[in-house]
Amino acid sequence: MNRTSIIALLIFGAILGYFLSFGADTTRKFQASIYQMLSPFFSTGSSVQKQITSVRTGLKSLEELEKENAALNVDNRQLRATNQALRDVEHEVNRLRHALNYRERSVFKLIPAEIVTRDASTWWHTVTVNRGKEDHIETDMPVVTDEGLVGKTTTVSNTISVVLLVTDENCKVASSVEGTREQGIVSGERVSGGLAPLLDLNFLTKQANLQPGQKAYTSGVGGVFPSGLFLGTVKSFKVRELDGQAKLAPAVDLSHLEDVFVVTGRK
Amino acid sequence: MIFFGVLLILVVIAQIAEFFIPPLDWMYHAHIYIVPVLVFYGAMALPFPLMLGLALWAGILLDALTVQVIGSKVEISLGWSILLYAVLAGIMHGLRPLFIRGRWEVHCLLTGLCTSSIILAQYLMITFRRGTFMFTKEVWWQIGGPGLMAMLMAPVIFWMLNWIARMTRYPYLPERIFE
Repeated sequence: MNRTSIIALLIFGAILGYFLSFGADTTRKFQASIYQMLSPFFSTGSSVQKQITSVRTGLKSLEELEKENAALNVDNRQLRATNQALRDVEHEVNRLRHALNYRERSVFKLIPAEIVTRDASTWWHTVTVNRGKEDHIETDMPVVTDEGLVGKTTTVSNTISVVLLVTDENCKVASSVEGTREQGIVSGERVSGGLAPLLDLNFLTKQANLQPGQKAYTSGVGGVFPSGLFLGTVKSFKVRELDGQAKLAPAVDLSHLEDVFVVTGRK
Repeated sequence: MIFFGVLLILVVIAQIAEFFIPPLDWMYHAHIYIVPVLVFYGAMALPFPLMLGLALWAGILLDALTVQVIGSKVEISLGWSILLYAVLAGIMHGLRPLFIRGRWEVHCLLTGLCTSSIILAQYLMITFRRGTFMFTKEVWWQIGGPGLMAMLMAPVIFWMLNWIARMTRYPYLPERIFE
C-alpha cells in the first residue's frame, strides 16, 4: 500500500468516525438537508412517474371501458342509497348528541400532501410527502387519509417530509378494539412478502377472542396519535404464551396511496 | 478525474431512481438496487483512494435517505453503509487483476453477492436492535432477490460504464493498463 492510499484511508477513517458519532438530532438534521437538496429531483421524478402510470392505465380497450362504466353505474346507485341512509343516521346522531349534550366532535387541522416517493429500502416502510417545515409540519405528526391512519412524520425538511408507515415495525400505535375493552399496541411486520402487509395487534388479553371483521382504532394513549382514527380490521386472533395477538388488515391501501393529510392539531 | 465525477453523478441519479422503481412482487417484494453495481464497478476501475471516495459518497447517500430516526433513537447509525460499501468494495478492488485480464464474470457474480451482503448486514443490524431473530422465505428472497437482479444488471451496467470510461479517456481502463 503506497503513501497516498494510507493517507486516503486515514482521511476516510476520520470522516467515517465523524458520521458514526452523529446522534439522533444531528442525523435528522443531516437527513433533512440531504432530502431538501434532492427534493427538486424527487418532485420531477414523481411527476414523470405519474405521467408514465397515467399513460399506461389510460390505455384501455372498449370492452374494459364498458365493463368499468357498468360497474360505476352500480357503484353510483349503491352510493346514492348509502348517502340517503347516512343522512338519516346523521339526523339521528345530531338529535342524540343534542339530547345527551355531547361535546362537539373534535375536528383536526389537516394539511393535504402528495406522496412523492415510496420506500427504496428493503427493511423500512416509508414514503416522502411534498410538505415540510414551511407548511408547519413537525416531527411525530400523524398522517391520515379519509380511510384511516397512514403513519407519522419522522424527518422533516423545509419542503419535504418522511412518513413512517403504520406497516413498519417501528411505528407503534396504541389501539383499542370496537365493542370490547381490549387495548393493545399495533405495529407492522418486519418482513412482508406482498403489497398488502398486515399489522400485528399485540398485548391483548388471552381472553380477548377477537372475531374477524372487528375494527381497531387509535386509543389516543401515547400522545402522538389522536384517538378514534381507524387502523384496521381484525383478520385473525391467536393466544400466545403471555398475551393475545390479532392480525389486522390495514385500513388504508398503502400500496396505491397518492394523497394524504398531515394532522397538525385540532381546530 | 472526469470519469470519477461521472460516477459520483451516476450514483446520485441511481439513488434517486431507486425510489421510483417498484419492488418486484413476484420476488416477494424484493427491491432493485443499482447503486451497489456502480460502486463495485468503481472498485474495479478506480485506484484505491478514489474507490474509498466513491464508497463514502454512496454510503452517505444511502444512509441519509433510508436510515430511520425514531424519537431519540437512530436505528442504524449514519456511517454503517459507508463502512459496508468500503469493505466490500475493498474486496472487489483486491480482485482487480482478474478484471484487468478481462474476466468480468467473477465480478458480476461478486457484485450480486456483495449487494445481498449489504442487505443482509442491514437486516442483522435491525434484528439485533429490535430482537426476535427470524429467517423466513420472504426474508431470504428480499436479501437474495436484489443480489440476483444486481448480477443480471451488472454486465449491462459494466459495459455502459466501460463505454463512458472510454469516452472520458479514463486512463485506468484495463485495456490501457495492458498496453
